[in-house]
Amino acid sequence: MKTIEIFDPAMCCPTGLCGPNINPELFRIAVVLETLKRKGILVARHNLRDEPQLYVSNKIVNDYLMEHGVDGLPVTLVDNKIEVMGSYPTTDQLSEWTGINLNDIPEINN
Amino acid sequence: METLDITKIALTKYLFFTGKGGVGKTSIACATAVGLVDRDKRILLISTDPASNLQDVFEQELNGHGTDISGVPGLTVVNLDPEQAAAEYRESVIAPYRGKLPESVIRNMEEQLSGSCTVEIAAFNQFSDFITDREKQERYDHILFDTAPTGHTLRMLQLPSAWSTFINESTHGASCLGQLSGLEERKGVYQQAVKTLADPGTTLLVLVSRPDKSPLQEAARSSRELQLLGIENQFLIVNGVLQQADERDDISCQLRNRQQEALQGMPETLKDFPAYSVPLRSYNLSNVAAIRRMLSEDDLLFGVPYKPLEGGKRLDDLVHDLYTSSKRVIFTMGKGGVGKTTLATRIAMGLNSLGAKVHLTTTDPANHLNYDIVTREGIEVSKIDESEVLEAYKNEVRDKARENHITESDMEYIEEDLRSPCTQEIAVFKAFADIVEKAETEIVVIDTAPTGHTLLLLDATESYHHEVERTRGEISGAVAKLLPRLRNPDETEVVIVTLPEATPVFEAERLQQDLHRAGIHNKWWVVNSCLSLTRTTNPFLQAKAASELGWIGKVNELSGNNTALVEWQNL
Repeated sequence: MKTIEIFDPAMCCPTGLCGPNINPELFRIAVVLETLKRKGILVARHNLRDEPQLYVSNKIVNDYLMEHGVDGLPVTLVDNKIEVMGSYPTTDQLSEWTGINLNDIPEINN
Repeated sequence: METLDITKIALTKYLFFTGKGGVGKTSIACATAVGLVDRDKRILLISTDPASNLQDVFEQELNGHGTDISGVPGLTVVNLDPEQAAAEYRESVIAPYRGKLPESVIRNMEEQLSGSCTVEIAAFNQFSDFITDREKQERYDHILFDTAPTGHTLRMLQLPSAWSTFINESTHGASCLGQLSGLEERKGVYQQAVKTLADPGTTLLVLVSRPDKSPLQEAARSSRELQLLGIENQFLIVNGVLQQADERDDISCQLRNRQQEALQGMPETLKDFPAYSVPLRSYNLSNVAAIRRMLSEDDLLFGVPYKPLEGGKRLDDLVHDLYTSSKRVIFTMGKGGVGKTTLATRIAMGLNSLGAKVHLTTTDPANHLNYDIVTREGIEVSKIDESEVLEAYKNEVRDKARENHITESDMEYIEEDLRSPCTQEIAVFKAFADIVEKAETEIVVIDTAPTGHTLLLLDATESYHHEVERTRGEISGAVAKLLPRLRNPDETEVVIVTLPEATPVFEAERLQQDLHRAGIHNKWWVVNSCLSLTRTTNPFLQAKAASELGWIGKVNELSGNNTALVEWQNL
């Protein structure tokens, strides 16, 4: 089983409900991760505001940030390798990495 | 109503003075403290009043740890500044990462730690330390808090109970809580603080008000909300009751009648509690001697011969300037009780009579708008009801979720985030944006809600503006257009409304600074309810009028002389 970690920018809440409008992308990723959690698979998701230390101590993430700045977030690491930069993984990618078919989750798009 | 005599009241270990800004909480807390020290009690006075002139009163530097007052042996004073505490907290979180993370990342963190939650957390944090400190509990007979204005106090007091449910129910990294690192370890302290507050044997809540309708309603609201939090041991002090009205002097008769009417029509909730009055004083509470006299002596100090204030600008000058400079969005801003709604209405009517098409919006829950008169003049009126817009926003989110075929269990997750304290701010912000959007065709005049709230909206505006740029989320036209419009001085004017008194002027000054920081233009100020423009012959009111002049001068300075003075009126 692969280890998946998502590093978010500093955010008020993970669903993005605190924005001026609902961001469908944040909405999608929150629901997909929640579904995985219910199936017993924990995808670590870090918020810069709450866990800044991780953005320093994880050398891969820190080097990446030093190069790309805050606009490079979110960034996704799979088995400690950067897989997705500047956006969230797609539902298909997550299905592939976890081996769980997430396609029975209704598509969330707008 | 009986005059306040502290020797007749059963005092508890902790005393909290609460009330709207400008009702005299600090003065009364201070007078009570000094009065008790004079009766050989050891007293700790904790002030969180940003307008506090306690350093001048006691002629001593104060700090957040406690200073023994040399002029009043037995009295220790602590001066807390929640804003500063929040800034310190923010810095303590961020400092270790400076240089280790790029500048853009640091700014992102700072922005997320500048929200409303941070100040409240910091304030309550300091506050709870004093309520739970055993050593202080033993050293002092009574510990007095003159808390920050009501809304703020309420939120502070409500937070821990809201949070403990939040923490327990939270199934994921819950929103605004993450920002207090080590919240869990403080949980015990918070719980104890709340328990102490709700214990009638240890805590007495002193509702401070003025003999006026709106502050009394505000006091009733606080009282009810605190009762719901279990704080039931309360009593009421009405400060500034005019004792002598001269029958030949209209102003003092009107004022006395208005005060008496307000007291007779006092909300039922307040009638359950003992109530005391403090007379209107003819002197400033600027030193220990005056503070000592506040709760004891009633005699009048005669001042210089009185003459009404002349010259300066009036509301007509302001309206005319807004009209000729073609402003499209006009706000009246200020703390609750300074008359924002009344002034927004007068400005709207003034612009209307000059031939402009005007839309008037009120966010004031107490809503003083006289709809009939205004709508008869052809002005469109709308209202932002916080709880309504919140519910509407929640439903919008729910609908969107359903459109996307979200399952019931995932819906729980969404509902969790909808419970976050941010959601209400967002909801109000959206309603606000939609109304400003209407300025495409009309002049919009908005009386915003009290300061803290207003600033949240503006702060919110700014960070969401950034957020809008950053994410590819859907952006409604109204929200995306709002900030540039608010920042455009050709289009927008923010009229700061205040009263010719210490606390309101101080609060307004902070508001001005915050506006500037948010890049919002402000030219005009209004000093409302000036007794100094009246021809009163009552010596108490003349003394009060004379004390206004310094504050009017200060506002003139702050506004570069763009200050419209509005005469005291019997409304």
